[in-house]
Amino acid sequence: MTSALEIDGLSKVYGTMRAVDAFSLRVQRGTIFGLLGPNGAGKTTLIRMLTTLLRPSTGSARIEGYDILSSARTVRSMIGVVPQDNNLDRYLTCRENLVLHARMYAMAPAEYNRRIDELLELIGLTNRQHDFPDTFSGGMQRRLVVARALVHQPRVLFLDEPTTGLDPQSRRAVWNYVQSLTPQMTIFLTTHYMDEADTLCDRIVIMDHGRALVDGTAAELKERLAHAHMYELEFSGGGERYEKLLRELPFVRNLQRTGNSFRLALAGEEFLKPLMDRIGGDDIRKICLKEPSLEDVFIELTGREVRE
Amino acid sequence: MFRGAIAIFWRDLLVLRRSLFSELLAVIAYPLTLYLAFGIGLRGYIADVDGVPYALFIAPGLISMTAVSAAFNDSAWSVWFHRRVQRTIEEYRVTPITVYDIVIGKIFSGFAQGTIKGLAVALVIFMLTPFRFIPAHLLAYLPFIFLGSMIFSCVGTICGTMIDKPENIGRVEAVVIVPLIFMSGIFFPLSSYPKEAFAIISLLPTTAIFEGARQALLNGRVAPLSIVILLVTAVVAFAAAALTFNRKMSE
Ligand SMILES: Nc1ncnc2c1ncn2[C@@H]1O[C@H](COP(=O)(O)OP(=O)(O)OP(=O)(O)O)[C@@H](O)[C@H]1O
Ligand SMILES: [Mg+2]
Repeated sequence: MTSALEIDGLSKVYGTMRAVDAFSLRVQRGTIFGLLGPNGAGKTTLIRMLTTLLRPSTGSARIEGYDILSSARTVRSMIGVVPQDNNLDRYLTCRENLVLHARMYAMAPAEYNRRIDELLELIGLTNRQHDFPDTFSGGMQRRLVVARALVHQPRVLFLDEPTTGLDPQSRRAVWNYVQSLTPQMTIFLTTHYMDEADTLCDRIVIMDHGRALVDGTAAELKERLAHAHMYELEFSGGGERYEKLLRELPFVRNLQRTGNSFRLALAGEEFLKPLMDRIGGDDIRKICLKEPSLEDVFIELTGREVRE
Repeated sequence: MFRGAIAIFWRDLLVLRRSLFSELLAVIAYPLTLYLAFGIGLRGYIADVDGVPYALFIAPGLISMTAVSAAFNDSAWSVWFHRRVQRTIEEYRVTPITVYDIVIGKIFSGFAQGTIKGLAVALVIFMLTPFRFIPAHLLAYLPFIFLGSMIFSCVGTICGTMIDKPENIGRVEAVVIVPLIFMSGIFFPLSSYPKEAFAIISLLPTTAIFEGARQALLNGRVAPLSIVILLVTAVVAFAAAALTFNRKMSE
């Protein structure tokens, strides 16, 4: 058995809404798995079921071979969880937060103190360890939550948007660290940052409306769009006007705009000429063919802009 | 076994220790005011009750009142805060401890807070009271503080578990807890009630707490019926709190 995670037809139903809909998945041990999807896709709900916080409506899942329902305690002893919203204890200092966590795992003081010193060093909070989390910046709190999930050296780590709200340096620091944890640890993360999924994840699933839409490596997912012709257009002005115009063209898909720059897919190569005819040459500053990015795949599949 | 409960209890005492002085000051102020106003201020107007000076008559009840309301408040707000605001309960729940660890840890924290605060008020009132009582009576008195704090801590835990809106916790306190305490003979002897009411009132657990506490402290008498009522109530409340919490967590 080399799967750290086996999910079979897991569902969560709220009234008539299927937040997670018959979701199945295998995650290889020692890999980094990334779950992507727009807001409300069901990512957090899935993680809450896997971490035994939420009872599935139907279906089953095993972590390191242990069933999340019948062996919930064993499962919890093997996982580390970074929830989407920080849930630090603001009445405990940074270090006390980590100590309380260690005590829940029955770690001995000699063992946890050494481990905590190590982790504090790693997240750069050694000098602030006796301060309360309220006095920390959002990024520092986030790093503390990540450290807390690692105190007991879990075998499977769940990270629900670990880098949301972090500055680029801290994000990269988290990436490096997460990467260094494999292959001893299996990592299951969700993110809204496509570059993060692209660089970090060995395998990616994009989900929406509780269902998996695609599954594969970043390269494989992009390969799916290889047939689509992605172009980048840049105008010297009149972004609003061009957006309106481009949206009306039936052969233009997945339009994304940043200021006067656009990214779009054409239904086929033969449409390049009609496109040029419509927009004319006056304001064009640049036009070029692009490799599809993960974001293009995401938008192609979920049919909406990535919302954060 | 109960490692999680012990860890949570440790956490709560650590936090309490940091603010112990200001908490005690705040918690002593109210019963002390009542004591001074009724016990000393009205001294000349109220004759002895059942042969006991009025100040001494109300003293045991004020102490018990402090203990049980502190136990209720601490448990209710703590469970609510950790569940709804800080969401620390979720952090506890992804570790290998059980939900029973969490609820037991919280109940014992509330119980400890009630007991500590009750004893602090006792200390102050005993220093102010000109009437001495026999120290051995204190031993008879302690079970009432313990059981009372335990019962109210469980009731508080149930409120903190079931109630999502904070203002509703305040309402439960105003409509249920405070009347229950005041009706149970802190300020007047139960014999003031009409016959029919007396039968019902005397079976209330709060009556057992307050009347029992007074008998224990002033006369050194422990009424077996009071103790039985309190023990049964404590067991039922404990089971109810554990079940309610477990139910809420598996939603
Ligand atoms: N307790 C609940 N009751 C009813 N509906 C819920 C509940 N929790 C979640 N949902 C619904 O389930 C769906 C999935 O939510 P979920 O939080 O899993 O999304 P997500 O993919 O994590 O989104 P985000 O990227 O915004 O974090 C949403 O439509 C949400 O409204
Ligand atoms: Mg989410």
